[in-house]
Amino acid sequence: MQQAETLSARPARRVRWMNRDRAIALLMIAPSALAIAVFVYGFIGWTAYISMTDWRGLAISTSFVGFDNYLTIFSTGRFQTNIRNLIVFTLFFLASCLVIGLLLAVLVDARIRFEGFFRSVYIFPMALSFIVTGVVWQWLFAPGNWPNDPTGINLLFKQSGLGFLQAAWTTDTNVVPGWRIEGLRTRIGIPMAMIPVVVAAVWQMSGFVMAMYLAGLRGIPDEIKEAARVDGATEWQVFRHITLPMLQPITLSAVIILGHISLKIFDLIITMTGGAPGNNTEVPGLYMYEITFKANKFAEGAAVAMVMLVVVALLVVPYLIYNRRTEVER
Amino acid sequence: MLTTKWLKLFGVFSILALALAACGAPAPSQPTAAPAQPTTAPAQTGGKLEIFSWWTNAGEADGLNAMFELYKQQNPGVEIINATVAGGAGTNAKTVLKTRLQGGQPPDSWQVHAGKELTSYVDAGQMVPLTQFFKEQGFDKVMPPKLLEQITYKGEIWSVPVNIHRSNVLWYNIKIFQENGLTPPKTIDDFFKVAEALKAKGIIPLAVGGKDRFETPHLFESVLLAVFGPEDYPKLFQPGADWSDPRVRQAAEIAKRMLEYSNSDRSSLGWADAAQLVLDGKAAMTIMGDWAHGYFIGKGAKVGVDYGYAPAPGNEGVFMWLSDSFGLAKGAPNPEQAKAWLALCGSREGQDAFNPKKGSIPARTDADVSLYDEYLQYSIKAFSSEKLVPSVVHGAAAPEAYMTEYGNALNVFASDLDVDAVVEALKDAAKDLK
Amino acid sequence: MASIKFDHVWKRFGDFAALKDFTLDVADQEFLVLVGPSGCGKTTALRCLAGLEEVTSGTIMIGDRVVNDIPPKDRDIAMVFQSYALYPHMSVYDNMAFGLKLRKIPKAEIDRRVKEAAEMLQIGHLLDRKPKALSGGQRQRVALGRAIVRHPSVFLMDEPLSNLDAKLRVQTRAEISKLHQRLKTTFIYVTHDQTEAMTMGTRIAVMRDGVLQQLDTPQNLYDHPANMFVAGFIGSPSMNFFEATLVRGDGQVLVDFGPFQLPVPPSRIDAIADHIGMPIFFGIRPEDIHDAHYVPRGVDESARLMTTVNVVEPLGSEVYAYVENGGKEMVARLDPRTKARTGEVLEIIIDMSKMHIFDRDTERALI
Repeated sequence: MQQAETLSARPARRVRWMNRDRAIALLMIAPSALAIAVFVYGFIGWTAYISMTDWRGLAISTSFVGFDNYLTIFSTGRFQTNIRNLIVFTLFFLASCLVIGLLLAVLVDARIRFEGFFRSVYIFPMALSFIVTGVVWQWLFAPGNWPNDPTGINLLFKQSGLGFLQAAWTTDTNVVPGWRIEGLRTRIGIPMAMIPVVVAAVWQMSGFVMAMYLAGLRGIPDEIKEAARVDGATEWQVFRHITLPMLQPITLSAVIILGHISLKIFDLIITMTGGAPGNNTEVPGLYMYEITFKANKFAEGAAVAMVMLVVVALLVVPYLIYNRRTEVER
Repeated sequence: MLTTKWLKLFGVFSILALALAACGAPAPSQPTAAPAQPTTAPAQTGGKLEIFSWWTNAGEADGLNAMFELYKQQNPGVEIINATVAGGAGTNAKTVLKTRLQGGQPPDSWQVHAGKELTSYVDAGQMVPLTQFFKEQGFDKVMPPKLLEQITYKGEIWSVPVNIHRSNVLWYNIKIFQENGLTPPKTIDDFFKVAEALKAKGIIPLAVGGKDRFETPHLFESVLLAVFGPEDYPKLFQPGADWSDPRVRQAAEIAKRMLEYSNSDRSSLGWADAAQLVLDGKAAMTIMGDWAHGYFIGKGAKVGVDYGYAPAPGNEGVFMWLSDSFGLAKGAPNPEQAKAWLALCGSREGQDAFNPKKGSIPARTDADVSLYDEYLQYSIKAFSSEKLVPSVVHGAAAPEAYMTEYGNALNVFASDLDVDAVVEALKDAAKDLK
Repeated sequence: MASIKFDHVWKRFGDFAALKDFTLDVADQEFLVLVGPSGCGKTTALRCLAGLEEVTSGTIMIGDRVVNDIPPKDRDIAMVFQSYALYPHMSVYDNMAFGLKLRKIPKAEIDRRVKEAAEMLQIGHLLDRKPKALSGGQRQRVALGRAIVRHPSVFLMDEPLSNLDAKLRVQTRAEISKLHQRLKTTFIYVTHDQTEAMTMGTRIAVMRDGVLQQLDTPQNLYDHPANMFVAGFIGSPSMNFFEATLVRGDGQVLVDFGPFQLPVPPSRIDAIADHIGMPIFFGIRPEDIHDAHYVPRGVDESARLMTTVNVVEPLGSEVYAYVENGGKEMVARLDPRTKARTGEVLEIIIDMSKMHIFDRDTERALI
């Protein structure tokens, strides 16, 4: 009797692979999944394919040439310079944003008066577009005919009696130290014109880092810091051994977010310097734009795009894997 | 997030293209054998016309509107879509244009520099030949043969030139020259003498920009012309040209010295900022195309009083030109309306409406000279009497792939003033002369 | 090894006073429990002692040092927090070694102390783990270990057992007591749980609204609560309170409850003599109310009362009965053999020698 009941109940209980809920869920997800499949991954695939053709000029050409375009771009001094600039920009941008962002966060977190005001002041630049930032800072850092007839920040220095601080800023053509290495068609070093660009980018994004760190600081229980104090830590030791290590996940997220912005930077640089002087502030994004749409070298442009994709992936993918792992742990 | 800008653009326009295609695709290329055309502009009633250009600044936009007004009078009821994209001396516009063409959604007619730039669109099969149309309109009889050469490719004429600009002009501050008892330099040697005298007075001898990325390449083409002369200069941009010629190095040395007499903040100034330095009396000279004339007028300056003009040093008797033209798109949604537009572009009436405002000279030999100001009258005369050579920087002499490489070589040169490097880079760039 | 002294300490947070004229002496090696309902100021007192809060006025001394202006790190104290406050990014070993490393104690010595403490707490096998990989009980032990390795002169514990389940709590309670005997150090222990207070403390300080109510040994606190608050707070179930009047009659003194009267034993009359004829609060603990059939030997059976049983809660070893007479309800802790049944009548004996009488206005104990 019992046996019969179990048997008769079975068909009703069997989990159908496609029940109503699942069908609706799939239906809801399908349009966006399809759009992403086509317009993101489809186009990435298309770009990868184009990067291995000999498409030059306005008429599409799909003859396969393998990795020729990659060899071509990597052998040009210009692209080598771009990579150098990208590394310099990213390192300086990341380091400055993290340090300044953390500093601001600690200051604001110290429960000073008008905290909300300061917080807004620092975060506000993030609301602007990089284009606006680029234009404004381009004016500020235009040196003019300095030291006698300066403009922008140089003029400010001159009028406030700090004339010795005047500099060539975005027009500085030096690369420090500018080593030449056999087989490389660019000079190794820090292009000085990149410094003002980093300043502008840091101005815009450090407030965002501050906001992230502020959230992180607020998330550290007071008791843990108090425990450290009772354990014998000075305020600096509490910061060094407790606060800082506990902010590490925030730092990692900030590095990922800033890093991918930095590696794909385009709008700020094209408005602020256009890559000048020479190619001293040019990055792969600008190069890709120019050889694709000015020179009509679509295949080489696609190759640059793929290089950028790989560089960003090198940053993001380990993070995603790490994140997945720690999520599982939790 | 990933392949950034151009992928995004590509994506957006693909969506656009799909959407547009869905709501009624235009008939694929109409037969070009149109019914016999009268020599006057064919009147159209109704429909639309989309014209694509990068004419957004004061003078040029006024000129374009003047032509639109005429068009509306002649073709009542046609709705004109003025598709302009500002910025980057046409670079941004060309980006959008190319994306649209790739997506199969051309405007009816678009602005294109006569010469090599035009041929890339022809090679891509995006234009309709206009030889028959030229004959019907009689344009072939009133346009200079040198110009017709530049719009003829594979035995056909492809676009209708609407104006001529001169690129090798020396603009100078008259007051500075008078006060210092100087005359505008005719030769390269003259230039350095004048420059030295000005420098001693604490005046920047030569204003050069760099922010628009074409200023130093522009300066250099006039130096190349001075060194190579009007016979050899055009050969530099033929396929297989020999850039190991020692005169290239000579030109680079001269350009280096010229740049040493220029403002140090080149890369932060646009060409207009450089022109402003001359107007403000901070610099004495600048070498720029005659769109600088339009800029000066726009600033309220008077030619012959505030500023003067002369051929660039060593360029006397040679007119380096570039020309804006309009072609007919293959697969144009409104080919008849577009033909009416092209007829207007090529007509004396249209050109005389456009050019005095734009600050350029007509591409016809029969223009009404009295409509043009002092400089333009001088230029019209020069165009018909002097030797003509095409500009490389402005798309007349060489394909865009080459222009980009040539331009970058000189932009790097403007920064590091490394003669050896620029000579090498120019040699490399010559590979793109096809 | 240190005594502790709070001398007229005030602590204000804006308008709110968390400690009001708090004075307390703790002897060396004592296990003092600060107990009271939440918000009574017991944690504030502990935090002031630790140096995590500054006092508004008064002085705090550890040993013979005034520590008001000494930062926590120099007070020679160790603290166990309610949340344990383990450093999440450090291993168990590093959590315990942190304070020692900061004090630049030699590596070998650190290692010895950490291993010793880990052994004592039976967490030797967990030293490489991170806190998030530990159970609640294990975390609690690490927090204890972190305090032990420091060899401080005072241990401070802020409700260290409140996050453990009931069984573990009882077990750990005993272990902490053992720890105290073994370490021979002053312990200050904060809790809201009177059972913890009674079982662990050598003395207990009961607090309410920032004011110290009574400081005494557990038994004295239980037997002789100084006021109604202490009387009600200590003991479970709580003492029964009734409004009543002391009256004279039949040559004896009676407590008049309204519907019934109960005689005051002659031995207690002196203590309340000057309140005769006045309203008072009468208090009696549930264990001092007996089923008339099962009265322990030696209890005076003169105070008898017929009651109605409202609820019976058998616990096995004893039975709680909620009984009433004339609207006066009380809890009685009865012999498990009792026949009390809900709704039936039960005769009870009240052991009047164990009664408590409180002044109606001041709530102070009269006896």
